[in-house]
Amino acid sequence: MKRTLMPDLPRNPMTRRNFGLVLSLLLGLFPAAMPVQAAASAPDLEARVAALEAELQALKAQLALIQAGGAARSTATPVTGVAAASPVAAAAAAAAPLAPMVATADVPASRPALSWFGYGELNYTRPTDNPADARADLGRFVIGAGYRFDERTRLQSELEIEHAVSSASDPGEVEIEQAYIERELNGAARLHAGLFLIPSGLLNENHEPTRYYGVFRNIVETAIIPSTWREGGVGFQGNTAGGLRWDAGLTTGFDLSKWDATSGKGVESPLGSIHQELALARAAQLSVYMAANYTGIAGLRLGASIFSGGASQRQAGLAGSHLSLWEGHVRWQPGAWELSALYARGHIAGTSALNSALAAQVADATLVPEDFYGAYIEAAWRARAGRSWPFTPFARVERFNTAASYADLGAGLRPLARADQTAYTAGVQLEFAPGVIFKTDYVDLSGGSSADRFDLGLGYEF
Amino acid sequence: MNSEARPWRLMGGCALALLAPAPALIAADYLSLADAQRAIFPEALRFEPVMLQLTGAQRQAIAALAGVQPLRGRLAAWRVQGSAGELGFFFSDEVVGRQDFIDYALGINQDGTLRAPEIMSYRESHGGEIRNSAWRAQFARRSNGAALRPTIDIRNIAGATLSCEHLTAGVRYLSALWQVLLRDGAGAAR
Repeated sequence: MKRTLMPDLPRNPMTRRNFGLVLSLLLGLFPAAMPVQAAASAPDLEARVAALEAELQALKAQLALIQAGGAARSTATPVTGVAAASPVAAAAAAAAPLAPMVATADVPASRPALSWFGYGELNYTRPTDNPADARADLGRFVIGAGYRFDERTRLQSELEIEHAVSSASDPGEVEIEQAYIERELNGAARLHAGLFLIPSGLLNENHEPTRYYGVFRNIVETAIIPSTWREGGVGFQGNTAGGLRWDAGLTTGFDLSKWDATSGKGVESPLGSIHQELALARAAQLSVYMAANYTGIAGLRLGASIFSGGASQRQAGLAGSHLSLWEGHVRWQPGAWELSALYARGHIAGTSALNSALAAQVADATLVPEDFYGAYIEAAWRARAGRSWPFTPFARVERFNTAASYADLGAGLRPLARADQTAYTAGVQLEFAPGVIFKTDYVDLSGGSSADRFDLGLGYEF
Repeated sequence: MNSEARPWRLMGGCALALLAPAPALIAADYLSLADAQRAIFPEALRFEPVMLQLTGAQRQAIAALAGVQPLRGRLAAWRVQGSAGELGFFFSDEVVGRQDFIDYALGINQDGTLRAPEIMSYRESHGGEIRNSAWRAQFARRSNGAALRPTIDIRNIAGATLSCEHLTAGVRYLSALWQVLLRDGAGAAR
């Protein structure tokens, strides 16, 4: 806290003059010693002195009360400044070492630089056509720590355990989801360096279970935008008073050599299967990102982002591969409604040679798509219950394609694109305590898919 | 210039920016207390410190009115005097955003209506959008400060949900405090 006694007096000539007058009176000096007062007539001056004396007496009484009360209430009471436009208040502020405080006896004068936070989710999913595949899972357990080195420099970090147990024979993972140093540049911009989230879409930076609808994250912002998507590098972020936030940065990118033609991971999420997450990430080619979000109208968020960079990392057989992903999104909250829409599209160029090789080596290979995209619209209605809104039904329609086209393999040979898929999700959420949420939903995938499912979930954030 | 060298030169530039000397201004502090007082009550002649003494019953009444609160920090109050008499009260208050405190100021007029809060300090990576004037303006002229509901009365900013909700809760607390203790002048030392 940088509050100081009379912090603005030197910048306020009027206040400084008045303060000088009172100080002169208190010290028994002649007002004529203050040049600015010398021109005042004697009767005027006498009247002002009389008025000031009266006010001063009143303030003395008040000050005594404040000091007695403050001393009795807390030994940790910080000094607080008072901006005074009158000489009387200025004198009071200058003389008063204790600020008026309410219920602060238990608040330390300085706060710890280290802070903790966390979130987590447990879920149960039951495929309707194949109940034998029902699963219960501690999906995520995340602990985050922040540390303020000084008023301008801080660390932000998140350590995540997925699926409860991580070992060679278990499905779990231990991940560092964020670990970066942030440095304030001025009141409107900051720089971060380390492992941080890419500002893409509505969910990636707001991936805690209390902040999205559905037991699981939506498909588009999982399959097309690989949430939780983080990269290592440096990034700038700024905010304007008008409500525009901008982001730009230089980071690590994707590595096409991680593509596994023998598995279906590339179909589930093309980018999710080749991300590096700063785990000995190949960095021969870096990527750039830019994002802008406007929140200058209450209840509105309108934004877009683009990420672009090489994907070959200068490895043999992958030359010329380049990847880009762009998206646009909007969220609007009229009254109790929350309406969202997002469109995202990715493109991987220069994959002909790689796909030709994969097709020759692997039977029924999963090939690298040239284009993939997805979009959704979502509506939620926050039902009232007293002062909180614990009951929120929602519905979402998603349309997506993780392999909308493939590059020509040569000689007019082009793999067949996958068909678009549609997912309908409807559910309700109950936030029965601040930061603790119960969720249930049903997901219907188009084409009579056996992936239709019923979900239950419990999430929290603190 | 070798195109492969460009990214590294950019990174070098960024690193230099990181190490640049700190300006005198503490960047996370957007407004001083005096700035906030002037911004909220520009017509004020003076701000008189107020010593508030809460009884147990009053604390309970405030808690009941204000509802669930986030972690709270220091709070101070001033009686605001204008040329035509008392204008209302000015408060500086602190509530936690997600993991660190937001310092903000609020004005409550004599008739209990609110003046838009000002953000004095924000210390977290995400959520600083609550400085947006459009978001803060939602509080202005509200007469039911102790009953304000996030998302219904005060719309959230997507991406700054916790900061929005917690600052709204803080305003509820200050409004409840005014209602219980200051509206009729009781309990406040002049």
